Amino acid sequence: MNTTTTTQSRIKVITGNAAAAIAAKLARPDVVAAYPITPQTEVIEQISTFHASGEMDCELITVEGENSAMNAVMAASLAGGRVFTASSSWGLVFMYDAVLAVAGARAPVVMVNVNRETPGIIAVSSGQQDMISTRDAGWIFLIAEDCQEVLDLVLQAYRLAEDYDIQLPVMVHYDGFFLSYLSEGVDIPEQETVDQFLSVLKTQPKRTVLHPGEKLGVGSHGILGGYMELRHKHVTAMERSKAKFEEIDQEFADIFGRSYGGQVEEYRTDDADIVLLGSGSMCGTIKAVIDEQREKGERIGLVKIRMYRPFPHQALTAALKGKKAIGVVDRSLAFGFDGGPIYTELKAFETRMDGAKLVSFIDGIANTDITKTNVEKMIQMTRDLADGKDVPEVTWVSYPDANTKGGK
Amino acid sequence: MAEKKQARLTKVLDYLKHDDPFSKGVAFCPGCGLELLLRFIPRVLGNDIVITGTPSCSAPVLLGQNNQSWHTLSYFGTLMTGAAANATGLVRYYRKAGIDNTVVCFNGDGTANDIGFGNLSGAAERNEPFIYICYDNEGYMNTGIQKSGTTPFGATTTTTPYGTVSRGKNLRRMNLGLKMAMNKIPYTATATLSDLDDLAKKLLKAKEAKERGFCFLHVFAPCPTGWGADPADTIEICRQAVKTNYFPLWEAENGRIRMTKTVKKPKPVNTYTKLMKKFNHMTEADHVILQDDVDYEYCLLGGLSVLEAECQLPVSVKDQGETS
Amino acid sequence: MSSNHYFKHEGPWSDAGDPLMCTDTGDWRTRRPVVDKDKCIFCGLCAIYCPIQVVEMKGDTHFEADLDFCKGCGICAKECPKGAITMISEGEFVS
Repeated sequence: MNTTTTTQSRIKVITGNAAAAIAAKLARPDVVAAYPITPQTEVIEQISTFHASGEMDCELITVEGENSAMNAVMAASLAGGRVFTASSSWGLVFMYDAVLAVAGARAPVVMVNVNRETPGIIAVSSGQQDMISTRDAGWIFLIAEDCQEVLDLVLQAYRLAEDYDIQLPVMVHYDGFFLSYLSEGVDIPEQETVDQFLSVLKTQPKRTVLHPGEKLGVGSHGILGGYMELRHKHVTAMERSKAKFEEIDQEFADIFGRSYGGQVEEYRTDDADIVLLGSGSMCGTIKAVIDEQREKGERIGLVKIRMYRPFPHQALTAALKGKKAIGVVDRSLAFGFDGGPIYTELKAFETRMDGAKLVSFIDGIANTDITKTNVEKMIQMTRDLADGKDVPEVTWVSYPDANTKGGK
Repeated sequence: MAEKKQARLTKVLDYLKHDDPFSKGVAFCPGCGLELLLRFIPRVLGNDIVITGTPSCSAPVLLGQNNQSWHTLSYFGTLMTGAAANATGLVRYYRKAGIDNTVVCFNGDGTANDIGFGNLSGAAERNEPFIYICYDNEGYMNTGIQKSGTTPFGATTTTTPYGTVSRGKNLRRMNLGLKMAMNKIPYTATATLSDLDDLAKKLLKAKEAKERGFCFLHVFAPCPTGWGADPADTIEICRQAVKTNYFPLWEAENGRIRMTKTVKKPKPVNTYTKLMKKFNHMTEADHVILQDDVDYEYCLLGGLSVLEAECQLPVSVKDQGETS
Repeated sequence: MSSNHYFKHEGPWSDAGDPLMCTDTGDWRTRRPVVDKDKCIFCGLCAIYCPIQVVEMKGDTHFEADLDFCKGCGICAKECPKGAITMISEGEFVS
């Protein structure tokens, strides 16, 4: 993140959840519907407080479950409203049918998902498995690294979702516990600045909406070619969203003074021969280790995924091309591939990376801290791979048993 | 002669003030109760309603096919799991945007009583300002006649077939209308197709009451195909359901139950059950069980209406609206 | 933007602006309602109970079903208080 201008007085020490709630308030949604779940609850508590004090002029629907939250915001969005919801883990999965319907209906819903584990082993802990479980729902997925980025991404999400050329739902992910409850300084923009940033949407053509008395309905049976046409439109809109996100990031930088680089953020990659690829809160730690090792002359960089769906393979291959080795850090699992989900997806583009070798690291699941020591270990193994040494394809960094017994 | 004839014209026609927004040729089975109800609602309430529907027998007609439509209403074809939540989202946005609206959430018993009951219940608690209409054909008819929570005792369906060790559905049917009335929502009513003037009045009352919050109509709508009945008997089945107290007609404002049609001498329930094949296999003993259940439910309804009057609904209960 | 061959809109929206979709349901019928105009007392019960609402007023003398769409369910015949409507097999009308 390049910070150019920051007004000190606007900086408040707040949690990631509060940042999400404040961002939602600043976007002035018409309808908010949400249901509590750890670690997201604070988001709706904050919004309820804003609503109760009159700071937030929206219809707040205190639903009886996540499924209803998503159904309610879907309908409100299709009727023409700006909407917001928030969930996590089981909540996201409980609303999954509506998550799919929202995408198919092309409703520009914006939500935050506070990443948490979802396996049947009850785990009230951080991990990106909920994101992975829903990755091909047809939503745009954005991932934040810190509390500031949570706020910024929610605002960018509205510009992206509601853009006339896109019309897709956007989910902003951030790590539960690590970011949801972490308090750090966040520059909270003025309402007028946010209004200005979002005002572009008002100048665009109006999308199709459900209005009483109009001879028009949503939820049509797509028959044969019609179904394929809609799916193809969906895919092409997803692809368009990549360049659009870059544009929005640029415009955001012009207005707010913060730029992240669009689909992927590259950190000290220019002359790097090895790179770690990560997403979310782990990137802060990775950057700190990189800074330390750079002092010692190690040529290491980080590529951070900010947009996970659509998969930014063009941006990734451009950033990773020509590197000697890439260590991909996943906070979730992909069954049958052994490696992490982002690793397996990137593997499909290996041939476009001019010989860069890939290695998979599984870490940070079930709230395990991705410590500096762990990052150093990952960097060492990636360095070994670059040097032609024998390195296992997959390493569970915090669980050595996996590497001796079942691991490759 | 002509004048004399005009005088006999049914008053129900007076309620049909608006056009039928549906195409004449739509794919409902001959004698379908749902089709009559679906065409009736916008003719009474107007064509400016927004109707929401879920996968069910009504879906193929409510939903469009590619860019084409079977009717001229604005509609939202959505998921069974979230029907009432969808309608909630619509009315809340319309309220915020200052758009006048009558949203009709139109679902079968499978959505209303079973898979979508959670959000129906939630919408009732929040007193959302729309009209929820459940057409009750006592089962999942669109998927091929499976049991639902409102399928009555003894009825045979494809998931409760009659067999050597089975007497059809071995469980009671749930009383959906009563469940909803107990939420003290502004308006709850039961209705059926034999009493169309009663249905029309209740629809208009609901349209008025939805200004104060949530309205629920439970409409008994036979399925000749699924029940093994003569399509010509659809209205007769409704009539006998009322006359046997199998499906009593009542309404409840803020939960205060009032019978809208009292049957002086209720007929035995087999005058109703004999009109269809789904009860054909039932023994006399089975009929006693069904009869007892019908009598018990009716007695309870009567008792509740007396109790409600005695207990005096506090004004504050009535005054509670949307809290959030 | 990709093609708009089937849908005018970006998402799954259908318009009722064009002629509505319509199925030739009259084709389904095996029995046809035939009205005895002398017996008809013009009460209109056949019209209100017709599920497809195709029983129409003919002047002020009687009611008649639109055979283009009538599915032949027989509700009108059953509900007529004067027995003025008879369901007659379509075979009788084959010339």
